[in-house]
Amino acid sequence: MKNQEKKRQGFLAERPLPTIEIAPRILHYRTRRDLLLFGAGAAAAVAGAGLLLPQTTLARIGVRRNINARGKEWLLDKALRIDDDVAEALYSPDRRVPTYAKSQTTPIKNNYNGATPDPGYIPGWNLTLEGLASGLSISLDIRKLRNRFPIHEQVTRLVCVEGWSAIAWWAGLRFDDLLRAYPPKSQAKWARVESSVNLDASGNPDPYFVSIDLSTARHPQTLLVTHLNSHPLAVEHGAPLRLLVPVKLGLKNVKAVTRITYSAEEPGDYWAQFGYSSYDGI
Amino acid sequence: MIALIPPHHEPESTSTSLAQSGVLVVKRHHVLVRLSHWLNLPLLLGLILSGISIYWASPIYQHRPDPNTGNFDVAADIGIWICAHVPGQHHYPSPPDWIYNHMSLGPGMLALALRFHWLCAYLFMLNGMVYVVGLVMGRGWRSLLPRRGDLLDAFRMFRYYLGIPFAKLARREWSHRRFNTKYNALQRAAYFSVPLAGFVSVATGWAIHKPMQLQWLAALFGGFDAARVWHFWLMWLFIFFLVPHVILVFADGWDTLRSIIVGWSTKVDRSEAIANEESGEEAPRLPCRATASDN
Repeated sequence: MKNQEKKRQGFLAERPLPTIEIAPRILHYRTRRDLLLFGAGAAAAVAGAGLLLPQTTLARIGVRRNINARGKEWLLDKALRIDDDVAEALYSPDRRVPTYAKSQTTPIKNNYNGATPDPGYIPGWNLTLEGLASGLSISLDIRKLRNRFPIHEQVTRLVCVEGWSAIAWWAGLRFDDLLRAYPPKSQAKWARVESSVNLDASGNPDPYFVSIDLSTARHPQTLLVTHLNSHPLAVEHGAPLRLLVPVKLGLKNVKAVTRITYSAEEPGDYWAQFGYSSYDGI
Repeated sequence: MIALIPPHHEPESTSTSLAQSGVLVVKRHHVLVRLSHWLNLPLLLGLILSGISIYWASPIYQHRPDPNTGNFDVAADIGIWICAHVPGQHHYPSPPDWIYNHMSLGPGMLALALRFHWLCAYLFMLNGMVYVVGLVMGRGWRSLLPRRGDLLDAFRMFRYYLGIPFAKLARREWSHRRFNTKYNALQRAAYFSVPLAGFVSVATGWAIHKPMQLQWLAALFGGFDAARVWHFWLMWLFIFFLVPHVILVFADGWDTLRSIIVGWSTKVDRSEAIANEESGEEAPRLPCRATASDN
């Protein structure tokens, strides 16, 4: 026993550092060579920073010259694509997100990027489905949606790209049930989920749209929500129907969905236009 | 342990003429350890600058919005305080942005900061792997392992370092216990915990980045919101480490700096002491002067 202990200690015990004898000029030569390499590396790092840093940051540290490197966007986009691929590889259609007790809910803020729409659109609201196997364009009102499909409740966390999160108690129909009732065309892999009532900061129409892969849309916790905290959705939370997709960032959770279009090709995404990821899996 | 490397110089190891002109060097750091050590500098800088830009979008430390300004961000408060009290900053155009303008890529650039952060983060993870490979190949990992008595010895070294400037001013002899290992206990604590902190930073980063798919990881750190707090304070650990690290390396001198660039040190006595220890001899515990070799 004691022997074993000693042996283990021996394995972890520090070894003497390798010592060599060399001619002084070898030491000088190596030192000079490595210092030059080191200097080159430092210069490359500074140049790399100059190419990669945003113009506003460079301007603040006194770099006035406009360095407009094409490689910059390419490299940053490449990092984003790699990160999206990792996110997609991590996604499992069978993995449920954590659920919470109703007592654990936290206030959820109205994070409409622009102005909150006037509730006048709600009475005339309906949901249009396009890209269906039937080739038809289907229009559904909120009563039909609520009566036709089973309603599921879930208390899940909504995570915003900005870094805040909120736990909320939602109720609505499964996106998967809608997909089964109105199947998309066979080659469809994507859904474009759109809100035509979205406004920009000055109150002008600014349709909001996101891309959702159908694997995510079929996730059992991906809902088309009608209720928050047992009350019908208020206008600031996307009355009368919003997308709730807890495996994605909040920005994919479109409020006041007015149209869903299925397609084989990846559709556009509102925030991807501004340099955010278009996959947004969390 | 003495081996003669350059073949075109190969003398008999007993050759006294060359032994006189030769110089003994200790191979302290494997080339991959040196490479990854220095790559950490730009990568951590990029991670911190972009990280604080990301922090701007939703600060961890908030208070009720100020009734006059609407400000809720503690970092903005600090900026406002700096502009009010620090000479030369009174005319700063946007005080709430002071911290973000000086310690990050800048406010209001979340999308760009995220992409920048991912780029640096993937490179940082690759670099960490290179470091581990270097530690194994260069067999340096054992020197980093904490051992019994390190806590007390680390405290003694801390006291020693603190006393150096006073001892120098008073021209007094100031010594620490001689150690016969690659690092003293304080260095070992630092060089063991900083790579560990790097690992935990990456883990908390993933917990924030993928709180649903990696929910077990987020749970390990107390959930999504708590993982953000971990991630934030680990950044400060790197910053707090860097200050004494740089001061002490420069205080210690050229040989130490050279060892992390070239890999070689001409201070050989300690490794011989380890050899003695292995052969069962107790290394002499001698006081060294403050100017004597330590790093």
